[in-house]
Amino acid sequence: MRITYRVFLVGGIPIAIAAAIAAVAWILLNEAERARDGAVLAGSTYRNLLVAMTARDEYVNAPPADRETFAERFRTYSTAARDDIEKLIVVARAPELRESATGANEALTRYVDSMADFMEATVRNDRLVEEMVARAALLVALTDEARERQRASNADIISTLRDRDAAFRRIRSLVNAAEELRSAVSATELRAAMLMISPPDARDDIRLKLGFDIGRFRNAAARLSEILAEYDPHAVAELQTLAQDYDTVITGIVEDDGPADGAAADSRLELEGSHISEWSDRIVKVKTSEQRALYEEIAQLVGYSVAANETERAAQNVAIEVLELGQRTTVALGERDPEATATILAESAPMPQIVASLPISPLIQSEMIDAIDQWREGLATATEGLRRQNERIADMDRAAVTMIDGARALNDLFTADADLIGKTIGNILIFGAAAGLLFGAVTGYFVARSITRPLLRVQQGMVALARDPQAGPIADADRADELGEMARAANFFVAEIGKREQDLRQAKERADTALEDLQRAQADLIQAEKLASLGQLVAGIAHEINTPVGIALTTGTQLEEEVRRFNATAESGQLKKSQLQKFVARMREGSRLLYVNLSRAAELVHSFKQVAADQASGERRRFQMHRWLEELMTSLGPALRKSRHEVTIECRDGLEVDTYPGALSQVLTNLVMNALTHAYGEDQSGHMTVAVSEPRRDTVRIVFSDDGRGINPADLNRVFDPFFTTGRSLGSTGLGLHIVYNLVTGLLQGKIDVESTPGQGTRFIIELPAAVEDVRAEPVRVEA
Amino acid sequence: MKFWTGCIVAVLVMTSAAAAEAKTLVFCSEGNPEALNPQIVTTTTGLNAARPMFNQLVEFVPGSTRIRPALARSWEVSPDGTEYIFHLRDDVQFHSSDDFTPTRPLNADDVLFSLERQWKQDHPFHAVSGAQYAYFKDMGMPELLKSIEKIDDMTIRIRLTRPEAPFLADLAMPFNSILSAEYAAQQLENGTPERLDEEPIGTGPFTFDSFQKDVAVRYQVFPDYWEGQQPIETLVFSITPNPAVRLTKLKAGECHVMAFPNPSDAQRISDDPNLKLMQQEGFNIGYLALNTSRPPFDDVRVRRAINMAIDKQAIIDGAYGGAGKAAKNPIPPTLWSYNDDIEDYPYDPAQAQRLLAEAGYPNGFETDLWYMPVSRPYNPDAKRVAELIQTDLSRIGVRANLVTREWSDYRTALQNGEHSMALYGWTGDNGDPDNFLNVLLGCTASRIGGNNVARWCDEDFDALVSRAKLTYDQEIRERLYREAQEIFKREAPWVPIAHSVVFMASRDEVDGFRMDPLGRHPFDHVDLKY
Repeated sequence: MRITYRVFLVGGIPIAIAAAIAAVAWILLNEAERARDGAVLAGSTYRNLLVAMTARDEYVNAPPADRETFAERFRTYSTAARDDIEKLIVVARAPELRESATGANEALTRYVDSMADFMEATVRNDRLVEEMVARAALLVALTDEARERQRASNADIISTLRDRDAAFRRIRSLVNAAEELRSAVSATELRAAMLMISPPDARDDIRLKLGFDIGRFRNAAARLSEILAEYDPHAVAELQTLAQDYDTVITGIVEDDGPADGAAADSRLELEGSHISEWSDRIVKVKTSEQRALYEEIAQLVGYSVAANETERAAQNVAIEVLELGQRTTVALGERDPEATATILAESAPMPQIVASLPISPLIQSEMIDAIDQWREGLATATEGLRRQNERIADMDRAAVTMIDGARALNDLFTADADLIGKTIGNILIFGAAAGLLFGAVTGYFVARSITRPLLRVQQGMVALARDPQAGPIADADRADELGEMARAANFFVAEIGKREQDLRQAKERADTALEDLQRAQADLIQAEKLASLGQLVAGIAHEINTPVGIALTTGTQLEEEVRRFNATAESGQLKKSQLQKFVARMREGSRLLYVNLSRAAELVHSFKQVAADQASGERRRFQMHRWLEELMTSLGPALRKSRHEVTIECRDGLEVDTYPGALSQVLTNLVMNALTHAYGEDQSGHMTVAVSEPRRDTVRIVFSDDGRGINPADLNRVFDPFFTTGRSLGSTGLGLHIVYNLVTGLLQGKIDVESTPGQGTRFIIELPAAVEDVRAEPVRVEA
Repeated sequence: MKFWTGCIVAVLVMTSAAAAEAKTLVFCSEGNPEALNPQIVTTTTGLNAARPMFNQLVEFVPGSTRIRPALARSWEVSPDGTEYIFHLRDDVQFHSSDDFTPTRPLNADDVLFSLERQWKQDHPFHAVSGAQYAYFKDMGMPELLKSIEKIDDMTIRIRLTRPEAPFLADLAMPFNSILSAEYAAQQLENGTPERLDEEPIGTGPFTFDSFQKDVAVRYQVFPDYWEGQQPIETLVFSITPNPAVRLTKLKAGECHVMAFPNPSDAQRISDDPNLKLMQQEGFNIGYLALNTSRPPFDDVRVRRAINMAIDKQAIIDGAYGGAGKAAKNPIPPTLWSYNDDIEDYPYDPAQAQRLLAEAGYPNGFETDLWYMPVSRPYNPDAKRVAELIQTDLSRIGVRANLVTREWSDYRTALQNGEHSMALYGWTGDNGDPDNFLNVLLGCTASRIGGNNVARWCDEDFDALVSRAKLTYDQEIRERLYREAQEIFKREAPWVPIAHSVVFMASRDEVDGFRMDPLGRHPFDHVDLKY
């Protein structure tokens, strides 16, 4: 069998097994998904049911006006729970799950139905309760109405009593006056009789007294008339006629001096007297009875008033009692206590009878009885409703237990199902993987053996061929499989190698020669570069020194001329003091100039000597960084001045480093020159900074930055490569920064990095040890 | 929720509307009814209290004494006047109560039951409630009736022993109200036959609700009343004996109609814009009955002396407030056959004294004088009248002790003859002189339990009024009655005192209440209009 097939066999079996596992796992995962969905639905059902049940509790306890909110919530959540359960029935995998879900659904249906019943009963009861409240209010209104009437009635009674009292007094004075009249008449009659029967000598005295009696009679008649005048003018007229007649008779008797016919006068007097007596008797009789009637009337009115007020109070008490019962009822209804309402109902049973038996105003009595009856009817119905509601609540609670148990069981079942499937998948994966692994390993082993053995032979053959290319062809070249092909190919290869080896040897020799040439060329270039920088240095030095030396030379020449002229003058003997003084002054001036310029030159030479020595010597030494930098910059002065750029040095005084100043100066020189060449345009005057800091102990960081055009980001990581340059046209070699890199990382034992933002400038960051380690080797590798 | 709120509001609105609609009319009546079955009551108070619940075969046109059909839609009278056939209405329902629901409308059995209970001594209900059937007997019904037959369910034949001119008027009277035979049978079966009289079931416009002695009689409207439902829902007779209290209640609105205001208050009532005063020449007689069955009133001289000793004018001026006229005959002057030729005994105490002396009481005597405790149409203040009489009698040496009884017992006491002198009176209830002369003074009525409280039985008089009943010839009747009045005057069993003007008062909002010449207080078709 071909190795391909064998390898296919080795790879294919696990793949097939994996595929089988994957297929099973996929199916199972689907199942697991369903189970998980089921568990989620069951959980959601459970939660919805709980919310619905809570909504029911809130509905039960809410004041009637707020009930609808909770009813709505109940409907929403029970519907949601139902939807969930219906979905669950669909999702359920196992019949027992479906059964459970169906059971829960039935329980929910019962619960919702009970709730609907309950809400209906509640609405009815709430309405009843409202009606009952209205009835109780009606009772109070009725009693208020009655009280208002009673108040008006009391006012009326008081005014009637006042009238009656006035009448009573009037009658009494009338009766008194009538009795007085009667007495006066009797007294007069008696006196008149005495007058008639008395002896003439006694008559004057009697007549005198009779005069007073008549006066009394007249007064009494006048008083009676006066009282009667107010309300009975007819009686006054009667009285006046009677009194007049009597008066006439009695006056006649008094005036007649001894009546002519005593008997006749006497009988006339008696007749008139009896008239007036009877008349006043009648007044007394009628008025006395009226007085009595008035008295009784007053008593009756007062009695009525008292009774009416008592009645009204009784009505109020009834109303209060109903209100109290109403309040208790409200509490009992609020507590859903049908026993309490039944008790109230029983307690209120005698009330209609009580109201009926009270002498309550008939105007409100039937209404009160009706109101109480209807109130009681309402209470009875409400009690019944309450019982029904409570039954419903109990029903619901029972259904709720089933329902919630069902929901919880569902939740558990679905969760367990999901877990089971998860475990199954795990097991299948583990066992499948193990089986696949085992089977694959065994197959692999045998297949590998069937491959490695011939391979070993080929290898051995090839090793032998390698030791001795002439050893002869590899065995197994006659095999039909890939090994045979391999052996054949190896044999062919060996033959080919033999032929090409010779060519290769020759080519290698040529390449080696070329490489040596190249290496030499590179060293030359680097040396040239170094020399170039040295040349620049020398050029700088020459320029610097040129000035003081030039001045000194000129001054010397001038002095020589002065001396020559002074000498001529002195020789002529015409030397004046002033001329001498002037000559001395000019000599002093000249010698000062000479001194200054030559000192300057000496100083410059010293500096250059140091830099050059550094560069040339490659000696390591300890030096003051700041001063060293300033000297370096001075030495670069001509190049800088030529280009209007300036370099700022930032370095603390007293910073000492122990390193190779020559290498460092070359580094900085190269960086400055690089900046001058590449960073700035023709007319720019740049500003460069050499900032020295000590980020850590024993480390010195030198940051060289310019504000030039910056480096193209694409070129940034190539700037240290040898021969990389963007300014070859300007005569750059592409080695400056390469040398910098080599010096920093090599001799100076530091590291260098570059950052650049195009258009904003470039920063070279060099970190050096403050004191290099003492590995004195070749100063610069590239120089080697 | 909104829907329910709406419903509740609607219900409340309806409830309050119903409450506002429920009209209660309160009548401040003058006294306790002695019973509520018109068969066994005779006072106008009792009759009026029973009236709203009952109907008769025929009835008086309101405000008159003319007869019109009622429960009987028509009738025929035989030419000889001794046979009446009544055709009953077939749409008359009886009331129902807590323990009775009628299964059938009114029929001939009910008519039979109502008449036979009073008539037949062996009727199972005859003795129930200790009933005396005074009216039935006083009207001579037992002798008059020959037979009552049910021809069919809706037809009744009544045969009379003799022609009886006022027979239809008799049938229109309350004692001939038609009761439910079915109800009676049910109560008899339950062993509570007296409930027939205590919780009456009738066909009238109002059903019985409750009766509380001294407080009120309450009625509810009968929606199935054969003449149609009344506008008043609840009718209450609020029992208020004192006229001043009645007036106070009327003014306060505690009652809507009041019986018999004090004549002295008449002016005040007519001046009150909230009140209406009604007055009517009374079809009545107020009198002092002298118990002729016991001495000294068995002596006609004593009776005449009493007649002369009483100053009627003072009584009318005082107690009647001038609203009445002195009476000399036992029938009102507006009733036909009134004998105006008769001269009254003069007020003459001296002559009275002489008569008493002649009769053997030269120093007078002591006696009792009964008076009604309540206002009557014919006597607004009997106590005051009694007091005035007492004073008058004291002048002839007669010492009268004033006696009274609770109103519902008063009549019974009088019918039992417990009194010597008693104030009483009568309002005609069928517009026939017989209703006065025979019922109040006939020999039939003079028995114990009869309406002739003077217990006076004069054969000549009785013969005259009996004869007068037998004929339909008004001229003959009038002659007989005039003659009877002469005998009455001569024998003086009463002191006729006054024919009063009857007053009634109502609140202004009462609509449709009319005074009735026969002293009835009908509340059908009465409404409250605010």
